[in-house]
Amino acid sequence: MAVMRVSPNRMELLKLRRRAETARRGHKLLKDKLDELLKEFMARIAENRRLRQSVESELFSAYGLLAISRAEAGAPVVAQALLAGEPGNLFLASQRNVMSVRVPVFSAAAVPAIQGYSYATTPALLDGALETLGEVVVSMLELAEREKTIELLAAEIESTRRRVNALEYVLIPQLEGGIREIRMKLDESERSERTRLMKVKEMLQDQ
Amino acid sequence: MSRIAIIGDAVSVAGFRPLGIAVFPVGTPEDARAVWPGVLTDGYEAIFVTEPVYAVLAAAIAEVADRPLPAVTVIPGAGSAGGIGGAKLERAIERALGTKMPVRDEE
Repeated sequence: MAVMRVSPNRMELLKLRRRAETARRGHKLLKDKLDELLKEFMARIAENRRLRQSVESELFSAYGLLAISRAEAGAPVVAQALLAGEPGNLFLASQRNVMSVRVPVFSAAAVPAIQGYSYATTPALLDGALETLGEVVVSMLELAEREKTIELLAAEIESTRRRVNALEYVLIPQLEGGIREIRMKLDESERSERTRLMKVKEMLQDQ
Repeated sequence: MSRIAIIGDAVSVAGFRPLGIAVFPVGTPEDARAVWPGVLTDGYEAIFVTEPVYAVLAAAIAEVADRPLPAVTVIPGAGSAGGIGGAKLERAIERALGTKMPVRDEE
């Protein structure tokens, strides 16, 4: 590890002591933040895995129903039926703060009633497929919110861990090394000063 | 109020249109490169991409990963095997913990 080059005087010693104290306080705060971030992160993982599995299986079943509808009524008929409807505002997105990380919050989706295509020319299975998709959209939105939160927390955890490690293994040991070095040099000069005085005293007594 | 967009092959995304979601069907996953900037500038808060599209757009999606919005989520397409979204999550776990976390089946 690189050794700090410092002038061995009391002023520098005080300065280094103050810096080391600030670094130790910062390290403790960041470590607490890291622990709390990890707690938030771990609490979300298991639930997210379950949600993803269920969303994927529901999506596959909806895709299956749509494929059967296409086979029954013909792809062009189903494609035309699915042109019904238009993009709209489905939910409310806001943000909240989790340990200084801004994460999204999605309110429940309000999926519009499915209509606008002919029930006469399309198979009943299409209604079932769209109903399943309507249900899965709500879960998809929840999944989007959870996964984004997990990704943002993961990035913050990574950078906080780097800061904690930099303080713990680089800056604090460097400052402590510098303090030790100055103290040793000051002690050394104090000892030599004392020896010199003792010698002078002895010489004066001899005269 | 906020809007949802979905990018993927026509077969996978068509069913979402009647539900009020903006669909962006692409002929091949590579076509998604042309669609992506428009979807971003339109300001959709939640964007879903199918797995083949994610494979093409991964770098572009990573650029907006540190913003709270939009939330870009991978979903399986009609013909894909699934699992890419799960793998993306595993990478996030590895990034945070510095190690892989075994899946514990609690059921």
